[in-house]
Amino acid sequence: MTFSKNESLSRNELQAWQLKHLKETLLRVYHLVPFYKKKFDEHGVLPQDVTSLEDLAKLPFTKKKDLRDNYPFGMFSVDMDQIVRIHSSSGTTGKPTVVGYTEHDMDIWAEVMGRAFTMGGVTCQDIMQNSHGYGLFTGGLGFHNAAERMKIAVIPSSTGFTSRQLLLLKDFGATVLTATPSFALHMAEVAKAEGYDIAKDFKLRVGFFGAEPTSEGLKNEIAHIWGIDYHEIYGLSEIIGPGVACNCKHSNLLHIHEDHFYPEIIDPKTGEVLPEGTRGELVITTLTKQGLPIIRYRTGDITSLTRVPCRCGRTIGRIESIVGRSDDMLLINGVNVFPSQIEHVLSKQEGITLNYQIIADKKGYLDKLEIDVELNEHLISDDVSYLGALKKNLEHALLNNLYINVEVKLIAPKSLQRSEGKAVRVVDKRPK
Amino acid sequence: MKYNIKQLSVFLENKAGELCEFTRILSKNGISIKSILLADSTDFGLVRTIVDNPEKAKTILEDEGFSVRFTDVFGVKIEDVVGSFDKVVSTLSEAKINILYTYSFYEANTGIFIFSVPKERFDDAIEALKANNIEIVHAKHFYM
Repeated sequence: MTFSKNESLSRNELQAWQLKHLKETLLRVYHLVPFYKKKFDEHGVLPQDVTSLEDLAKLPFTKKKDLRDNYPFGMFSVDMDQIVRIHSSSGTTGKPTVVGYTEHDMDIWAEVMGRAFTMGGVTCQDIMQNSHGYGLFTGGLGFHNAAERMKIAVIPSSTGFTSRQLLLLKDFGATVLTATPSFALHMAEVAKAEGYDIAKDFKLRVGFFGAEPTSEGLKNEIAHIWGIDYHEIYGLSEIIGPGVACNCKHSNLLHIHEDHFYPEIIDPKTGEVLPEGTRGELVITTLTKQGLPIIRYRTGDITSLTRVPCRCGRTIGRIESIVGRSDDMLLINGVNVFPSQIEHVLSKQEGITLNYQIIADKKGYLDKLEIDVELNEHLISDDVSYLGALKKNLEHALLNNLYINVEVKLIAPKSLQRSEGKAVRVVDKRPK
Repeated sequence: MKYNIKQLSVFLENKAGELCEFTRILSKNGISIKSILLADSTDFGLVRTIVDNPEKAKTILEDEGFSVRFTDVFGVKIEDVVGSFDKVVSTLSEAKINILYTYSFYEANTGIFIFSVPKERFDDAIEALKANNIEIVHAKHFYM
């Protein structure tokens, strides 16, 4: 079952829709957002020069910095009387980025989230515990609004207060959980420590997780511990928030709602558009947004795109689960390393947890990578040489998968700091 | 099961104060250490210990963030005379039972030697020692 007919148009119908809305969006930004007029003029392109979807490649990119430089509302294409909602990033690395929504944008947001919920088989019969942070972060309210519109009963538990969350989860009998993967794992850890029987005490059957790159192993672990269907939901506030893409039950790839968010995959270094199936940075152009339409936005997320129709009947394109961030990518002695690749290797080893930290440092002129991994609280062996071998096995597997030498350090359970929001997996101690 | 002593094996990170943290937790909770062996590699250490309340110790240590495991070991009483330890080891050797590790402690004039053998040979070891009139310590000897 799909939520809207746009999810399964023929390729021709979809492209016609995309081109029509792309042209409208280009006219809108050129005439209403001075930043785009200046940028297009500098590049020597006019909206009417774009006559096919391929022509999009002629246009310049928009970067996070552009949003910061035009702080707070410089990129909006409507007056404030049209804006009904403002969200903002935390701005930990400079000025925050600000996004605004018109009523129409809120409709689109609820629509794409509704599609995601439908992919997970969620209906108005369900109770959803929304453990995404409420506030300026788009996660909390993004899920909340869309769920309400679908008449799903929402518990706005937000993040943190883990013990109380577990109490609610049990007593209110939520069937759907939404959270960051690291918080879902943290909740399971606390549930066990507090003596809950996860299979008996909770009624969860499906979860929507996102906002962090997550390995297949970690997803399987969360699905297994909670006994749920794991759906990955992808999004970013600059585009709309959660709901840009989500996987259905038939595929691990995420359906990207390309009737609203036109995807391209580019080489992050050269900016050149890459063919389908090739990994690179995801670039998105919004096709229907009014408050903050955005042209060729560099998401910084590394993935690949396929337009092979899915077994579920949807014809919209699919992206693979985010492999990493182009800025989280570590360059270790010339080799690209993504934290998710490391997590994938760790997930296959018994006796350890997926609580780890990656530490990059310098040794002389060379980079060195250390990975601290927490052991399971139930020690796997009482044999020193077995534990030594476990460390060696991991180092060997990492060398085979990443093509670099890594030093693995086994550490005691619960010694790394726990996250209730986004996990800090990488510490780069190298001088900049 | 009366000879199976529940030894705790605890993972220790190789950093200053880690052993102290471990002993402090046991002492704070009134758990008495009967015997202890520290095995180490360059990267980490493994404490093997026999305490008077292993169940409680395991729960507390896990709560405090240690990685813990029970291993069944047995204890043999040995008098302080030449050849007594040799008799035990020879008996196991003749029964072709591999000793994984052993450590000892003393009570008055007798020594108690703790042995770890492969799990599947545990009962064979007990049989062989009994057949040679070697005194095996009851597990409850250690517990409160």
